[in-house]
Amino acid sequence: MPPTPFRTRAAVLAGRTASAASRLTGRGEGLVVGGKVILKVSPGAMRDLAGDRVAALVSATNGKTSTTRLLATAVGQTGPVVTQETGANMTDGVLSALAYGHPRGQAVLEVDEAYLPLILPDTRPRALLLGNLTRDQLDRMNEVAMVARKWRTMLESCPERTTVVANCDDPIVTWAARSAPRVLWVSAGQNWTADASVCLECGGLLRFGGVEGWRCTSCGQQRPEPAWRFQIDDGRFTAVGPDRRRFDLSDLALPGWFNAANATLALAAATDVLGLDARTSVQRMATVTAVSGRYEVRTIGALDVRLLLAKNPASWSELLTVMPPAPAPVIITINANDADGRDPSWLWDVPFEKLRGRTVIATGDRRRDLAVRLLHAGVDHVVIEDPYAPGVELPASARDLEVIDCAATYTAFHGLRTRADARTDPQTRRRKVRRAATRVVS
Amino acid sequence: MPSANSEQVTIVSIYPALLGTYGDAGNVLALRHRAALHGLEARIIEVAAGEPIPAQGDLYVLGGGEDSAQTAAARGISADGNLASAAAGGAAVLAICAGYQLLGEYFPDATGQPATGLGMIDIRTDRLPRRAVGELAAESLIPGLPRLTGYENHGGATHLGAEVQPLARVLAGVGNGDGTEGAVAGHILGTYLHGPGLARNPALADLLLGWCIGRELEPIEEPDVEALREERLRTVLGEAWNRPA
Repeated sequence: MPPTPFRTRAAVLAGRTASAASRLTGRGEGLVVGGKVILKVSPGAMRDLAGDRVAALVSATNGKTSTTRLLATAVGQTGPVVTQETGANMTDGVLSALAYGHPRGQAVLEVDEAYLPLILPDTRPRALLLGNLTRDQLDRMNEVAMVARKWRTMLESCPERTTVVANCDDPIVTWAARSAPRVLWVSAGQNWTADASVCLECGGLLRFGGVEGWRCTSCGQQRPEPAWRFQIDDGRFTAVGPDRRRFDLSDLALPGWFNAANATLALAAATDVLGLDARTSVQRMATVTAVSGRYEVRTIGALDVRLLLAKNPASWSELLTVMPPAPAPVIITINANDADGRDPSWLWDVPFEKLRGRTVIATGDRRRDLAVRLLHAGVDHVVIEDPYAPGVELPASARDLEVIDCAATYTAFHGLRTRADARTDPQTRRRKVRRAATRVVS
Repeated sequence: MPSANSEQVTIVSIYPALLGTYGDAGNVLALRHRAALHGLEARIIEVAAGEPIPAQGDLYVLGGGEDSAQTAAARGISADGNLASAAAGGAAVLAICAGYQLLGEYFPDATGQPATGLGMIDIRTDRLPRRAVGELAAESLIPGLPRLTGYENHGGATHLGAEVQPLARVLAGVGNGDGTEGAVAGHILGTYLHGPGLARNPALADLLLGWCIGRELEPIEEPDVEALREERLRTVLGEAWNRPA
């Protein structure tokens, strides 16, 4: 690797200083400000810092943080890995990760869907993982088709060394990825089809189901033949490779079929693009327990809560499936700040009916929207402004649970993490995480 | 099972996958919920795009959607023909946002060019200078209907012709773009209110159900819903949230 140009080295130093100042003044990690300073001093810093060491970029509406962590953990079998620890996935966050991480480490980076076209040309990853595109924060004009068009244009001039690893069960992702010269198709599942009614090629209607997965009733476009498949056989999660080799993914510490599907995408990239050993990759991925606080058990007030994050109707729909069965009560926290999306109408796209037979504690800034949604779903609920406050009256069934699930929108989730009792003994926490995980599987 | 003397209302949800991007599927849930409160039997028929639209519905519901979905929906409904004939026969229609726009003479397609609408009501939609995104509060112009609350998210400026009445006068937000919100023509009601509109305005759901059975329904208040209405109206109208404007 050629030495990093002086200008960029000076820029990184300036960025570090800015980040440190931001941390000292209590304004957070300082990654965003650090990234901004680096680019100001050396506009070509992204290309310089990336060099040839970016193994993979990961983008999707849902699952990009988890997929990135899974792949980064697999890539760790060959040496140091550079990745985001905080989920900062726009230009500044990606740049900070490259600037402050191990200087020769291979990079596995998560990238925001809208920022991907800006970041791909400078980072030239060996693998580009594309998971799914679904509705997300519609108040920001993130219409799904618009993002897909940007991706398609981006991939028409895809870097030469990049292989796209794309989920072909998502017709929107498939349409975008088809313009890339090298694509490894992975059938990684997609239960949420509500944003893929219309074929982006011709405006015709798409049909789902059958062995072909999906096809357009008008122009005949259909799911490409996948090289890798994610399957659920007798309740066990399996990845099947191109040579029909099977990998059992049921022992992942991360819960839910969607995390096993994320692991399939990561496994396909790790073995077929990065040339890593498949068994070792699976073993390493199985050790990932919590991802940026997701699925972590924390103590907040008098409760031990397992923190779950969901950001849009597709991810909420999947998250409901990892909650313990009724009648176990759960806490649901809904905010509508900028990062959550200002319009919580999406609550009506989530099948909360699945929570019938238990009491839901509705909280967060928009707890009243949630209460009305639950009323219409026929789900028993109580509205509590702060269920963690001392002396607050909770349903008895909530107090009796050893660990209660709390699902939250983005800013609510981060608020809870900040609030979580920092003194939680790590030993206890690990034990509880294991217990929560077992409970989900059984 | 419906009891022998219960009144039945058949609700047809048109292309919910195409027209349901902004939680508008909740309107059908709200109709079913309100019908049950009033002792009515609601029968829900969901019509997927490409399937025929039944002719015998009492109430047809269309939601919002992205531009390409809106154009596809307009094509499908126009080719089918049953919505227009059912409405001409007196059936009620609730249309939200993209669904509202496509009932008119024309609406802007994904490129901003006018696309032909169904021509069922006397409205025309072109583009607002700036997309309208945020809380919408409006004073209803239908006697007895309480203040309306919802969330709008659209780029359309809708111009009402002489044959329709506005649904409401805007108190906060954009609505049609000229100080009015929505349109009513006979038993056809169009509006920009998401939220969903009927969950946040149960009186609107009752009005539609009343049209279907030919009599007015008694108001029924639910604490969860009233708490939400107050909170939402307060965010844009402050202390005056329930005072006549």
